[in-house]
Amino acid sequence: MHGNGHNGTVRIGFYICHCGHNIASIVDVKAVSEYIKSLSGVVISCEYKYMCSDPGQELIQKDIKEHSLNRIIVASCSPLLHEHTFRTAVEKGGLNPYYFQMVNIREDVSWVHTDMKAATEKAKDLSRAAVQRVFHHKSLETKHVKIHPDVLIVGGGIAGIHAALTLANAGKKVYLIERNPTIGGHMAMFDKTFPTLDCAACILTPKMSQVKNHPNIILWTYSEVAKVDGYVGNYKISIRRKPRYVNEELCVGCMDCIEKCVYKEGKTPDEFNVGLSKRKPIYIPFPQATPQIVVIDRETCIEFKSGRCKKTCVEACDRKAIDFKQKEEIKEIEVGTIILTTGYQTFDASRVPFYGYGKYPNVYTSLEVERLVNASGPTGGELILRDGRHPKTVGIIHCVGSRDKNTNRWCSRTCCMYSLKLAHLLKEHTDAEVYNFYIDIRAAGKSYEEFYDKLLDENVHFIRGRVAEVSDWAVRPSEEGKLIIRAEDTLIGIVRRVPVDMVVLAVGMEPQADSQDVRRMFNISCSTEGFFLERHPKLAPVDTFTDGIFIAGACQGPKDIPDSVAQAGAAAAQALILIDSGEIELEPNTAYVVQNECSGCRTCLTICPFTAISRDEAKQKAFINEALCKGCGTCVAACPSGAIKQNLFEDEMIFSEIDGLLKMESPACC
Amino acid sequence: MQLPTPTSVHSEEESHKIEKMKRVVRRIKFESELDLNFGERVADKAYGQKLLSCIQCGTCSATCPLAHYMDYTPRKIIAMTREGFKEEVLNSLTIWLCASCYSCYVQCPRQIHITDVMYTLKREAIQMGFHPKRLPIPILAQEFYKRVLKDGRNTESWLLVSLYLRTNPFIMLREAILGLKLFLRGRLTIGREHVKRRDQLHTILEHKKGEAPL
Repeated sequence: MHGNGHNGTVRIGFYICHCGHNIASIVDVKAVSEYIKSLSGVVISCEYKYMCSDPGQELIQKDIKEHSLNRIIVASCSPLLHEHTFRTAVEKGGLNPYYFQMVNIREDVSWVHTDMKAATEKAKDLSRAAVQRVFHHKSLETKHVKIHPDVLIVGGGIAGIHAALTLANAGKKVYLIERNPTIGGHMAMFDKTFPTLDCAACILTPKMSQVKNHPNIILWTYSEVAKVDGYVGNYKISIRRKPRYVNEELCVGCMDCIEKCVYKEGKTPDEFNVGLSKRKPIYIPFPQATPQIVVIDRETCIEFKSGRCKKTCVEACDRKAIDFKQKEEIKEIEVGTIILTTGYQTFDASRVPFYGYGKYPNVYTSLEVERLVNASGPTGGELILRDGRHPKTVGIIHCVGSRDKNTNRWCSRTCCMYSLKLAHLLKEHTDAEVYNFYIDIRAAGKSYEEFYDKLLDENVHFIRGRVAEVSDWAVRPSEEGKLIIRAEDTLIGIVRRVPVDMVVLAVGMEPQADSQDVRRMFNISCSTEGFFLERHPKLAPVDTFTDGIFIAGACQGPKDIPDSVAQAGAAAAQALILIDSGEIELEPNTAYVVQNECSGCRTCLTICPFTAISRDEAKQKAFINEALCKGCGTCVAACPSGAIKQNLFEDEMIFSEIDGLLKMESPACC
Repeated sequence: MQLPTPTSVHSEEESHKIEKMKRVVRRIKFESELDLNFGERVADKAYGQKLLSCIQCGTCSATCPLAHYMDYTPRKIIAMTREGFKEEVLNSLTIWLCASCYSCYVQCPRQIHITDVMYTLKREAIQMGFHPKRLPIPILAQEFYKRVLKDGRNTESWLLVSLYLRTNPFIMLREAILGLKLFLRGRLTIGREHVKRRDQLHTILEHKKGEAPL
């Protein structure tokens, strides 16, 4: 065997970690250590309180030198946490880092078992498997790949905008992709923002126009990612640019065409005003839309439906920007890193039938109310209900769809605060009596509690109780013509019926409807709720399990604007680390073809997801490009001749590991 | 000027009532007076540990069509059960007023089986003899249980008689005509209905003795 040090003999050092009480309270570490010492090839076997500490690492380095060790095994936590630490320690001790093997006896043993005796036996089995495995380890070279400096950001809400500007200001080229005709996301729809009550548009639109005008940002709205190929540092992305039927180079956003459209009045529910107003087939979502370019909706435009429109819009356009023949375009780009800021959708209030959304016209969702109180909203900021009345009493129902095992279990974090804000705005606009029905007020943020105090001083009613029902069934003359909210005032301990003119449902935040498709396309994970999963909930909150892909904003979990912006900045910084270091170390877990055994059948060529395999036609053999191989192992399993092997996962290693688990002596180790 | 005395404003009876209301009563609960395992015991019976996950939102009370008449709202019953206020819970009217309509059960955001919790509490109250003496609901349950235990079946006429005897015999006189009409249409029988081999039933029940709920 090559690389086994002097005399070709294997000399193993085994170290078992207490991890404080994490491991030692369930696993008898001393017994494991003594057992491993008795196995052949093991020179040193010892236990230590914290192997990951500096003295722990130094212990390994000292033993390598003093006892000429050439294999190191550490039984401790997950390789995800400390494999890198120990490999580095082994390397410092003068040994190739791939002679190291880690055994997970914390996540796999002590944290999941309660029976000490059985847990100790399992730890022994796993350790013995590692001892048999390391006999076959080889010296390997670490791979490096170059990082392409461009960044793709998917989603143009506040998180995407902030991340794009951060990276662009650092001199990096950014592609910002947004599927709607304008950037701005949900924040552009809000009236004011808590707790400072500054207007959302006033703080957002300057950033939107910065994005538009930044020389380092390529902004593609009305576009979607169609395909993702490649790997960290070298992603190849296909972007589908949906046709606007308006030439983006020529349109200046004068809106003459919209005025001249054959539709005198809008007929289609306006997406930006959440259906509270109507728009024409040719439109701009809102006055500050970025880019300020008109879009034609194919579904409702007469020209597309019948082909017999007078096309007054075309006549109206001086710059001849309208082009009904525009086709979908696919753009291919190369980037090194990706930031996903795809945001959230609001909970569909009609899923809770007891609250009468869609049944009673004066029941609104919070997003609708944001538009209703906004100066550029459907009523110009005047609070007129769907039946034309002005509300004298308003009930705001918190936690709609949230904190409920029947719908969404999580707390959406933002609803308490935006409900307080809406209570303030509604009082300001109408001087109405406002009732908040809440389960708990969660005002944990800078200046949030103070905002709650302010609302209490404004004499807004706070009733602690989840609403059971909204109905129009009056049992008293004073309830006639009103919506009656029924809830227990839990602090007083009595059921109350509160008649109101308007009900506001504080709907929660949930993952986008297509978040699973996006997750698959980018090869990242989702938590059980469907939000994108971070690599570590505390220590790697914007990383994903796929290198080079980062997440920020509400696609990772419900979040308010300050948190989204903070996360977007963090994701941009993570991308900058990769870009500025220029290259990244990769595991040498690539596959290789044993040329003598390859029959040239081409099986591996078609199945490789990274197109890393080519065929040498002269020799009639397959050949794997190490730079492209990601070590997925698909070809290894598929090769009918067993001619493909994979570093770190060679058959002998796996089989001897299994033998070790089954208490069978592996022939190779003796 | 002479100020009016309280008696000049209220009648004697009213002022007596007010005095009674105003009486200072010491209300405090010492931890030693609680049955600290009570909540867990009830939760074990009433479908798992869901009872313990109550967030006290009050949806149950607000959906309950009978909450207006209860001495403690259903939410309070859950809180008190969880905290071990056994005597108060088992003596409450709430558990007897629950009509098992399951509205709370449907809407509870923690999916607590509140109706089943109420059943568990009712059983416990009967066993401990904690219910109001002439309240028909527990007595009906007890009499029904006794009859089925004895005969394997329920005879409605006998059940009614024993219920009225133990609650208010005068109602029997008031309902006599209705009873007669029911009898004439064959809805009530005089003879005792029972299963065929009662001895076998009794053997089974004897064997299962001591395995009573809670």
